[in-house]
Amino acid sequence: MDESKATLVVDHVTKSFGDFTAVNDLSLQVKPGRVFGLIGPNGAGKTTTIRMIVNITAPDSGRIELLGQPMTTAMQDRIGYLPEERGLYKRMKVGEQLRFFAELKNVNGKEADARIDKWLTKLQLQEWKEKRTKDLSKGMQQKVQFITSVIHDPDLLILDEPFSGLDPVNVDVMKETILELRSKNKTIILSTHQMEIAEKLCDDVCMIHRSRKVFDGRLREIRRSFSRNAVSVRFEGTKELLNDPEVVTNIREVGEDFEVLLAPGANPQTLLKRLVDSGVVISKFELVEPSLHDIFVAKVKEAE
Amino acid sequence: MKKLFAVVKREYVQRVRTKFFVIATILGPVLMAAFTVVPALMFGIRAGGPTRLAVIDETGRMYARVAREINSQQAEEEESPEQQPQQPPAGLNSDPKQRAEQAGKAMQSSIAVEQAMIGNRSVDDIKKELDARVQRKELDGYIVLPASLLQKGAPEFHARNTADVFTKGQVQNAIYRAVRSERLVDSKVDEQLIRRASEPVRLRTFAAGDRRESKGESSFFLVFGIGLLIYMSVLLYGQFVLGAVIEEKETRIAEILFSSMRSFPLMMGKLIGVSLVALTQLSIWALTFIGISIWAAGTSISVPKISPIILMYFVIYFLMGYFIYATVYAVVGSMVTTTQEGGQLALPVVLMLVAGFYLSFSIIRAPSSSLAFWASMFPFFAPITMLVRIVTETPPLWQILLSLGIGVVTATGLIWLASRIYRVGMLMYGKKATIPEVMRWVRQS
Repeated sequence: MDESKATLVVDHVTKSFGDFTAVNDLSLQVKPGRVFGLIGPNGAGKTTTIRMIVNITAPDSGRIELLGQPMTTAMQDRIGYLPEERGLYKRMKVGEQLRFFAELKNVNGKEADARIDKWLTKLQLQEWKEKRTKDLSKGMQQKVQFITSVIHDPDLLILDEPFSGLDPVNVDVMKETILELRSKNKTIILSTHQMEIAEKLCDDVCMIHRSRKVFDGRLREIRRSFSRNAVSVRFEGTKELLNDPEVVTNIREVGEDFEVLLAPGANPQTLLKRLVDSGVVISKFELVEPSLHDIFVAKVKEAE
Repeated sequence: MKKLFAVVKREYVQRVRTKFFVIATILGPVLMAAFTVVPALMFGIRAGGPTRLAVIDETGRMYARVAREINSQQAEEEESPEQQPQQPPAGLNSDPKQRAEQAGKAMQSSIAVEQAMIGNRSVDDIKKELDARVQRKELDGYIVLPASLLQKGAPEFHARNTADVFTKGQVQNAIYRAVRSERLVDSKVDEQLIRRASEPVRLRTFAAGDRRESKGESSFFLVFGIGLLIYMSVLLYGQFVLGAVIEEKETRIAEILFSSMRSFPLMMGKLIGVSLVALTQLSIWALTFIGISIWAAGTSISVPKISPIILMYFVIYFLMGYFIYATVYAVVGSMVTTTQEGGQLALPVVLMLVAGFYLSFSIIRAPSSSLAFWASMFPFFAPITMLVRIVTETPPLWQILLSLGIGVVTATGLIWLASRIYRVGMLMYGKKATIPEVMRWVRQS
């Protein structure tokens, strides 16, 4: 990939704390105008990676470049960061709070006030501007926190678990906002352990497991290249009907459905024929793309 | 710089606007006064009216003299030092009438004496009767003057409350003086002569080179008050910094702050912001004090005079103490997870401040001793000890400058060290840092 076009380049970065290696030889590139998913289970090294990107901690070795320049304090103003552990001054009024964080990002005066009003209106918080932060509900506080990360119109927005604690309505508002920012050619890094969310929002993903990158690339390509087929079936009968080690490697019950991973090279038709021959009533037989979760599990197994 | 200013502004505005600040500004002087005046008053006052004492006089002739001595002694104690300079020293208490009046007044307020009639009863019977009266709370105690009092006989003091050392001392003193006078009269010394010989001497005190009489006590209280004020404000505002740092750590605001600015301007902004809050409060107090002084100048109320130079030194040494201690508090705050833990870890720091405060007591007595010198050079004590020296007996300028220099170097070094620990500590959640860990952070960063 052409490095010069990337918003962010992380190149062979390693970070250890004492004997524990939190991030091991990680390389990735994030392209402008895309949502980049940084995914992996808790404790995989996502937050440490992000902290190095936003220049809170320095890597032990390796290189991080933002917009073609090495990370410096001045470059911090180009990044917006919504940390996983949310933090706001409880006793400050919402408006003043946003004003303070805007000033920390070098947005001052009328410009700051205008942007604060714009965002408060957009996220339906205008009437809370003069209220103390502690009087807001958790979801509203989270939206305020989100505003602090976008108030300076950053080129790169890093969101660490942005949907945790939000109700479904606000999850949709947040998703829309993220996609809107993407359409304005902003780059967004979305860090999450919830694969379903990443699946729906991300253009590219990088999966981390135990401090190491498991795989990365365009989500669509990853799915396509993942050779195994999966089938979702629903029929009136028991799971035993599907037992055929030559065709099926894994069966997972999802509600009334069975999600069946086919053996490499196996033809879904073989399975369908088997079911038809058995005489059960089939109400659903669908070829599905493997979920990110399945890919992750398979890749981790492969790596070990 | 803009970011540092933003931090300063936030700290200042958010704190000055709180109810706590307003209340503390109003209550501060009241509390200070309470701390200095109340203990003094508590020693002086005795609740529940005069102490009632009966006297069993077996000598048959000592009662009148003892009673008079008890009363006259109280009269002397009643005279406040403020009143004395206004009276011509030569004629002090020479008017017997005035003296008698004061004695009467004192008797109403403090000790009331009565004579227990002996009659034909034995001393033991009278004692039993008086014991019963003490039981019934009609009396607080009684004195037994044995027949051999003027020779070697020891008088007895029976009281409900033997812990009241003040009354005991007064009684003992009065009996001693009465016995001494009686013995002198027995040796044919003129009664008038004895009274004149017992006339108290009053020492007039001047600061060398100053023609105005100094009020030793009020300047002692001034020094004490200034020491206490430095001690309390450094402690209070140091705790503010501790609380602020822990809040940012607990609420994880630190993460956002560090993603926007370096740790040094962040910590400096915090320290400066809180110091401005402190200066605002101290200025309000100073202006109030000046206002009261101007108002009091037209009245007879005496207010200790504080020169502008002392005020200036006060601000300088307050800032020095504040920046040293608040920096330590900031480090402590970044190392712990809760306010309680912070309090424990900060205890040695507080003890240093307390030590400095107590040292000032011996420094008031010998402001030029070598102890005073070294104590005022040690940066953790200097804010209190040097200021005490300046107020009592201003040391040579080079000593003041040296102590300030040491203080500035110490504060700068501490802030430098602190900002290295701060960054790492603030991002460590969930566990308290150990000292070896902290040492490693300093080396690594």
